[in-house]
Amino acid sequence: MASKFGLAGGIPERRVRPIWDAVDSRQYKAALKLCTALLAKHPTSPYALALKALILERMGKPDEALSMSLNAKELLYSDNIFHFDDLTLSTLQIVFQRLDRLDLATSCYEYACTKYPSNLELMMGLFNCYVREYSYVKQQQTALKMYKTVGEERFLLWAVCSIQLQVHFTSGGVKLLALAEALLKKHINSHSLHEPEALSLYVSILEQQEKYDAALEVLSGDLGSLLGREEDKLRLQGRLLAQASSYPAASEIYQKVLESCPDDWESFLHYIGCLLEHDVNLPKPSTSEHTCPSCSVDSALSNKTSLSKELVESRLTSALSFVQSLQENNSSDCVRGPHLANIEIERQRCLNGNPDNIKLMEALVKYLHRFGHLSCSASDVEIYLHMLSNNEMSELLDEITRSFDASSISVNTLGSTITLFKVQELLGTLFTKSTSELQGIAKRMVDTFYKNLPLSNDLDPQESMYGEELLSMASSILVQLYWRTRDLGYLLEAVLILEFGLTVRKHVWQYKITLVHLYSYLGALPLAHKWYTTLEVKNILLESVLHHILPQMLNSPFLQHAADLVKDYLKFMDDHLKESADLTCLAYRHRTYSKVIEFVQFKDRLHRSMQYLSVKSDSVMLHLKQKADSLDEVESILESVSHGTKLVQLSNEDSIKDLTFNEDLDARPWWTPTSSVNFLSEPFDESSTPASYSAKMCKHKSNEKDGSRSIGYSFDDALSVVLGISSGKKAVKDFAPDIVSWMSFAVFINAWNLCSNVSVIPGTDQSSQNSWWIVDNLVKTCIDQQLTDTNQMLTSPGSNIPLLAWMVTEPISWHLLVIQSCMRSMAPQGRKKKKGGPSERPNTPHLQAIRSSVQCMADTLQRVQKCLSDQMKPEDQALDVLVSHLQGTSAEGPGQITRVLDESAAAANSKIGGRIAHSLEPWSCACVMRRIVGAESETIAELRKICTSKLKLLASASASLSLVLH
Amino acid sequence: MVCIRQATIDDLLAMQACNLMCLPENYQMKYYLYHMLSWPQLLFVAEDYGGRIVGYVLAKMEEDPSEPCHGHITSLAVLRSHRKLGVATKLMSAAQAAMDQVFGAEYVSLHVRRSNRAAFNLYTSTLGYQIHDIESKYYADGEDAYDMRKPLRQSQPKKHHHHHHHHHGPGGCCSHDAPAAATGSSQSSSSPDKKANT
Repeated sequence: MASKFGLAGGIPERRVRPIWDAVDSRQYKAALKLCTALLAKHPTSPYALALKALILERMGKPDEALSMSLNAKELLYSDNIFHFDDLTLSTLQIVFQRLDRLDLATSCYEYACTKYPSNLELMMGLFNCYVREYSYVKQQQTALKMYKTVGEERFLLWAVCSIQLQVHFTSGGVKLLALAEALLKKHINSHSLHEPEALSLYVSILEQQEKYDAALEVLSGDLGSLLGREEDKLRLQGRLLAQASSYPAASEIYQKVLESCPDDWESFLHYIGCLLEHDVNLPKPSTSEHTCPSCSVDSALSNKTSLSKELVESRLTSALSFVQSLQENNSSDCVRGPHLANIEIERQRCLNGNPDNIKLMEALVKYLHRFGHLSCSASDVEIYLHMLSNNEMSELLDEITRSFDASSISVNTLGSTITLFKVQELLGTLFTKSTSELQGIAKRMVDTFYKNLPLSNDLDPQESMYGEELLSMASSILVQLYWRTRDLGYLLEAVLILEFGLTVRKHVWQYKITLVHLYSYLGALPLAHKWYTTLEVKNILLESVLHHILPQMLNSPFLQHAADLVKDYLKFMDDHLKESADLTCLAYRHRTYSKVIEFVQFKDRLHRSMQYLSVKSDSVMLHLKQKADSLDEVESILESVSHGTKLVQLSNEDSIKDLTFNEDLDARPWWTPTSSVNFLSEPFDESSTPASYSAKMCKHKSNEKDGSRSIGYSFDDALSVVLGISSGKKAVKDFAPDIVSWMSFAVFINAWNLCSNVSVIPGTDQSSQNSWWIVDNLVKTCIDQQLTDTNQMLTSPGSNIPLLAWMVTEPISWHLLVIQSCMRSMAPQGRKKKKGGPSERPNTPHLQAIRSSVQCMADTLQRVQKCLSDQMKPEDQALDVLVSHLQGTSAEGPGQITRVLDESAAAANSKIGGRIAHSLEPWSCACVMRRIVGAESETIAELRKICTSKLKLLASASASLSLVLH
Repeated sequence: MVCIRQATIDDLLAMQACNLMCLPENYQMKYYLYHMLSWPQLLFVAEDYGGRIVGYVLAKMEEDPSEPCHGHITSLAVLRSHRKLGVATKLMSAAQAAMDQVFGAEYVSLHVRRSNRAAFNLYTSTLGYQIHDIESKYYADGEDAYDMRKPLRQSQPKKHHHHHHHHHGPGGCCSHDAPAAATGSSQSSSSPDKKANT
């Protein structure tokens, strides 16, 4: 733009160019120097001032940048300005945006537009300002003004987009759609439309008003040719016809779609829906919610049809022959749709009055015969498997077993073997097998994986290898065995299998994610964190993948690692939310109207993310935990969040109401379906069936949507719980899941009691020691409970180290802050002491209460220290303990797979060869065990460090109390 | 049931997850969004039964006015569980057709690592690309790239159908460019009259 005019904001372009170049190459100092020189020559040029403001902002001087840009703004507003151009304004806009003052940028453009009312460039700038502020009404008005000024189609569509956004985000905006329609109609009558995106927008305006016939008419007219891809047009027509309840016409259209795209499963479902005259208002599978395929079985097409049984039968028969013709015309393996359609049609027969349809089973068998070697085949038929009876299940398994020769080594045989295992897994038949059978199956899976490794020798190292699913399945079986028998050896073997797999190829994300959870459960957080780090999670994946590691880290002693995770996540989210409007402007400019709306909705979805909300508050807590040893630092942190009112605002009803959940829970292992649930911590239930268990999983996943759990007591009831536990009348165990919250609650009650004029606890007053005593007892009771539960850490995974860490870093830390604060106010130092003189007598009973609390905290923490030291064994001794779990010599019990893995690695050179054998050279089970031992003691050491620093704090508090009291 | 359809913004989550599963490298999100908001007609996902995204193709139109109008395939990914089903071929064909029909592209170009034999085979044998040039040290790790091209406009002699493409087919078919703008600093140009990173 600058070069176009030769002048930039009234300054010759050749003088400005070097400054921009310096800024672009981040040479801010040089840029500043050039800019200062420029300003000397043009002291009243708003453009030069704006440039300087921009440079100052980049140099990290926001205050100077703001005052500089306000100067520029003031000059712009003064009357003697000759060069009021978009370049100056857009430079200022950048500065204001980066300073979080979009309002200032907008007002500059508003002013400019009133001054030069028909300047299109300025109006576009103003439009963009409103886009950045999400002011849809003003967007609409500005766009319409531009449309009136130059009559271009795109500006009309900008206005229509703005109307769509109003309709979407505000209630009652529906009548605006009629306005949008009228505007478009008028324009079409005089100018027609020229872009496919414009047509889509027009159709969607009509569709939203349920004017399906009108929309269809538009599509079949001249404008319809704007849609480049014929199938897209057909799909749109099909959807409109179905919504208009023109079922026969719709199903005909969908037939056409399927003839050209036989693999289009969604169109096939619509086709069947139209044949059966279901209400086909199928919502698109919403990605904004957790998906849980097994809960949504049948959801798409389970509505009962109103047609007679005979009519249904005849229509399904005709569908079947159509599908068969599709099968004949598409004989390659690449087209599975029509074959799967066969099963769906049989399922529809079952649902519509023919529950004993044996043809469903036949269709399944046929499908698996044909596609069983493909690794997607088991998941293709998953929902149909659940319709089978027990007899049919075993028949199906026999059929698959017979369908291939398991002894040969080929990619197809391997594929079929995996499908057989997967179908068993999906059917849940593994659940009913005996421990030794399961052990045998897991071992077979590992053997099969190893035997087939040569098939993958020629693949690129980054490429997935054949049979990787086998190790995931084997490790999952071993976790189940652990759950059943509580024999730690199985859990260790589950780990070993995956570590072995990652030694073969280091990029298997499924293994890594499972290991993250296994190591977290084993108390070896540093290893969990290490594998998570190798996933290199960034960008939007932070939103969907972070849940695998963050909850464990937040309650661990590794505060810095947790803080780094939180920081990266918040940076991504904050930056994206701040910058996404710039991309919306881009979409307007590129005339991709449908994306404008999608993109604003997407931004809104991220904005309302549950995880974003909770991490924002976690981040403050974490910061407090890190700085909890210094009252001053804690105070300044609290000040920065307006003493918590910002946090309270986060949880107000408006922000809680429409939270979105973007976590990809499907990637989690089955035994921990959400971050707050871990089946392994619950007893194994022999009676549970696969169905009940999968229902349980779904329940947990949907519960997660209901938002955060609160303790859910009234204040008075909560108080009596705390009093009860603290006096020993109530058992800690009964409140176990929330015990840390109860402890913190007691700490806050004490603090509140201290600074409140009225007594918070009935029967006590401000000077009473009672509230101190409550905290002391509660802390002591809860910690002691944990310490007695802490047996050998390595023999009891899911150990209470995290819980201990949580107690120490939260309630105890907060209590120590209360102590510090009391001491500061009661024992004024230095100048103040002299001034006050001896008249200020210390409140002795209060000081004594503090002193006994200090003593109690110190004693408690020392017991924690001792318990932790007891668990720190010399490495070799700890290793022996761990390895002893894997030394079962009989055919039963863990240990066999460990030996298989070691032997396999040793024999790899002769049996596998190539790069895979090479990668297995460093493998040994003992190494993995040693790393686990190391990670566990690292965790303990970290917690000890925290305890030590708290004890130091208490020692100095105790010393100064002694001085005051004696 | 692998249905090829245009990508929506909501697919972004699944597309990036797909990338995580396929390849150890992925892009700045802004780069995806830039593609999606600028050339939505060229972005396709392969949606499997149950709505799962199992592959995608990311493409753009080159904006350099000194060259003839042409498209560029930026990224192609297919989940392992859905390899050898012709998904990559379908995705590529959809993107190529859209370049031709919507934008009138004369040819389409792409970069592929010299070592990526599976992808190279897909592009040459199945899709009819030819090596146009070799760009030395194109990737961040120093590996060379083949600059490959395929004409779109002029009527091509009809190729005989590749019945066997899935035997040597899209195994590791992932072409990933690593242009500086995508992998380098997130800072786009600060000059207000420049467009975002291309």
